[in-house]
Amino acid sequence: MADDENPPIDENRRDFILNTTTSVVAGAGIATACWPFISSMNPSSDVLSKATSEASLKGIEPGEMKTVPWQGKPVFILHRTKKQITSMETSDGGKDPQADAERVQNPDWLVLVGICTHLGCVPARKKEGWFCPCHGSVYDNSGRVLTGPAPRNLELPPYEFVSSEKIIIGKTEKPPIKS
Amino acid sequence: MKHVIGWIDRRFPLTAFVKHELTEYPTPRNLSFWWNFGSLAGIVLVIQIITGIFLAMHYKPDASLAFDSVEHIMREVNYGWLIRFMHSTGASAFFAMIFIHMARTLYYGSYRAPRELMWWTGQVLLLLLMATAFMGYLLPWGQMSYWGAQVITSLFGAVPFLGDEMVIWLRGDFTVGNATLTRFFALHYLLPFIIVAAVIIHLVALHAVRSSNPSGINLKDKNNIPFHPYFTVKDLFGISVFFTVYSYFVFFNPNLLIEADNYIPANPMQTPAHIVPEWYFLPFYAILRAVPDLVGGVIAMALSVMIFAAMPYLDRSKIPGGARYRPIFRIMFYLFMLDILVLGYVGAHPPEGFLVPLGQIATFFYFAAFAFLRFFSKWEDKWLFNRGLPAEVQAMLSSEQAQKTDRRHHKKDRRETPGDNHND
Amino acid sequence: MIKQVVLVCLILSTACFNIFLATIIFVTTSFATTNNHPLENIVFSQDPASLQRGAMIYYDVCRICHSMKYIRYKTLQEIGLSNKQIDTLRGDKPENSTPEKTTSDHMLSTLYGQVPPDLSLMAKARKHGPQYIYTLLTSYTENEGKYENPVFPGIKMPDAMNIAVAINESSKEEIKNQAKDVTEFLLWASDPRASIRKKIGLYVIIYFSILSILLYFVMKRVWSRLDNVES
Repeated sequence: MADDENPPIDENRRDFILNTTTSVVAGAGIATACWPFISSMNPSSDVLSKATSEASLKGIEPGEMKTVPWQGKPVFILHRTKKQITSMETSDGGKDPQADAERVQNPDWLVLVGICTHLGCVPARKKEGWFCPCHGSVYDNSGRVLTGPAPRNLELPPYEFVSSEKIIIGKTEKPPIKS
Repeated sequence: MKHVIGWIDRRFPLTAFVKHELTEYPTPRNLSFWWNFGSLAGIVLVIQIITGIFLAMHYKPDASLAFDSVEHIMREVNYGWLIRFMHSTGASAFFAMIFIHMARTLYYGSYRAPRELMWWTGQVLLLLLMATAFMGYLLPWGQMSYWGAQVITSLFGAVPFLGDEMVIWLRGDFTVGNATLTRFFALHYLLPFIIVAAVIIHLVALHAVRSSNPSGINLKDKNNIPFHPYFTVKDLFGISVFFTVYSYFVFFNPNLLIEADNYIPANPMQTPAHIVPEWYFLPFYAILRAVPDLVGGVIAMALSVMIFAAMPYLDRSKIPGGARYRPIFRIMFYLFMLDILVLGYVGAHPPEGFLVPLGQIATFFYFAAFAFLRFFSKWEDKWLFNRGLPAEVQAMLSSEQAQKTDRRHHKKDRRETPGDNHND
Repeated sequence: MIKQVVLVCLILSTACFNIFLATIIFVTTSFATTNNHPLENIVFSQDPASLQRGAMIYYDVCRICHSMKYIRYKTLQEIGLSNKQIDTLRGDKPENSTPEKTTSDHMLSTLYGQVPPDLSLMAKARKHGPQYIYTLLTSYTENEGKYENPVFPGIKMPDAMNIAVAINESSKEEIKNQAKDVTEFLLWASDPRASIRKKIGLYVIIYFSILSILLYFVMKRVWSRLDNVES
């Protein structure tokens, strides 16, 4: 608002302070007004509430697998048999070695994000692990990549056993107060 | 910075444009706060476009999803409630600003020569705004939305011969349905940008003829001041005051102007007990109902909006401006405003009892005011001339006379110039 | 001096305008009527304890016939219900599911001739919604073993709160309190963002008032440059 080209007749310090204050207040208001619009493009609260998923382990027999959605991604829950557990615990995997114990909270239950680390396809369940139909990556029963183009083992989601029959996938934080 | 501007100026008249249209644009010094409402309507248009674009990111124009998607915006989208209420309140604010802007134009006679084209582009803007608001009102897909659209599209049935086909064509369905909703959404998104274009034309016309002013007298150069900083800061002040009032409605009373019935999802099987249009259509709606015949009613309603375009021709007064120097015009103006309020009241209530004749009388006065203007503007002149005019008006009239003869001379000169007379 | 007077007038007139609006709204709501009966004019506080009691009453009583399809169980956190309480309410339903009626649509239409409406928006979908709901719930009377509602003649909904058969005044008071609680809950459900909206709104209005005052002084300063110029 300061008019530099035609200096007013009685320009003084007070005018400068007044103009600056007004500009700062107006500018701060405009900046703040942008926030609701930017924020509205973030995930809405119903989407955010899908940040965690509950999964019941009831009825998954040893050797069976269940797929549950978590944040729109498939999560594999495999109830491993004793034989599978022992065979996994004795191996370190292939391309991306990792101990089986680091990949499970309870050796009976393997919880994985079912997305191939190569290019994002969903691997298919095979007897001895998973096989990605897109480019032929092979994973074992601990989700570790054995052969194929995939660079890393299948990702592990954060999860937590709330009871012996129920897990919550995702970070269980208290959601912030919504606006 | 100077470099960049210089670079641009060699390719595009940026500095010249800003200088001519903003920093040095001469504006009458005596403009009152009534002249703020044009810029306020402009700022509301900006609010509506921004909030509208963000709403469109979440809205679903499908009969089975529309209502739910609006509730989703209101409940789940971050600040969705704010954006939605800004948009719904903004629609009312837009009409409020435009109506005051129009009332100012009428009161001060700003529609008179040489500003006819401004008045008419303004008329086009009003029609576009009405169309946009009407289509936007269908989108929440509540009971009022649905039945409002049903009733208004039915009005096109009054078109001779093609009426029924036209109604179905407009709706793309036998009643208002999915096809109607989707096309209304498409047009509701498009029209605001056409409004922006029309606003630019309105402003180009303004900068050609300059602002009118409360006295109605064309001011001498010494009474004009540069637009910036005097009117930029005045407009900013007006905008800030506007936002204070607007915020009250958005944050504390957003549902004041939303009918309760519009929180019930549209039900084609059941009409609400009492349909009312939004407040800004009420006077026109009252005129529609005042005529007992459908075709007549539609014509009367269309005429009630379009008749404003005739103002420059109906007002035959020789005295400049509007109400300032013309007492009878002033009284007529207030009576006309009162009549519009009466029509609004009639439009808001069911047509029962005394409201039916009241609506008809008010409709009669509405049109009579225009018809009467043609005659009384002459009588008033005669009376005022006999009584003696204030000095400034007399000075103005004589200077105008001088200008006219001057212009006639110019024309003559031009005619005499060879090569310029091919049109005559 | 004149500046200050103008400013004070400006502020006063804005204040008067707001008071005027508030009065109109107050007057129109306080004479609220339905079917020519005045509605009970009570003020709703949206107090959390009342909302929580109301949610429970909805869950136990209203939910038999009415769904609430816009209220996810998880969002009940916002009225202060704990995760544990919510888990009990939803049972084995997912957190993001919404309360469904416990009676089938088919059964309800045979009983009442129509499917009872969803309640999520009820407090906004009627004129003077909360007063309307409260009056509706509390104005049932009993007539030879049949329920009746003189304010809403012909209503299909039975006397859900059992106010018509209340044995004495104190139990009637108790039922009225419950009706108020459930109305509070429905009012919240119809507009869960109302409290944050008003909170933000207060700051926004204060902000624009300050900005208006600042701009007013800037405007006066800028225009004062013209004072020395002859007009």
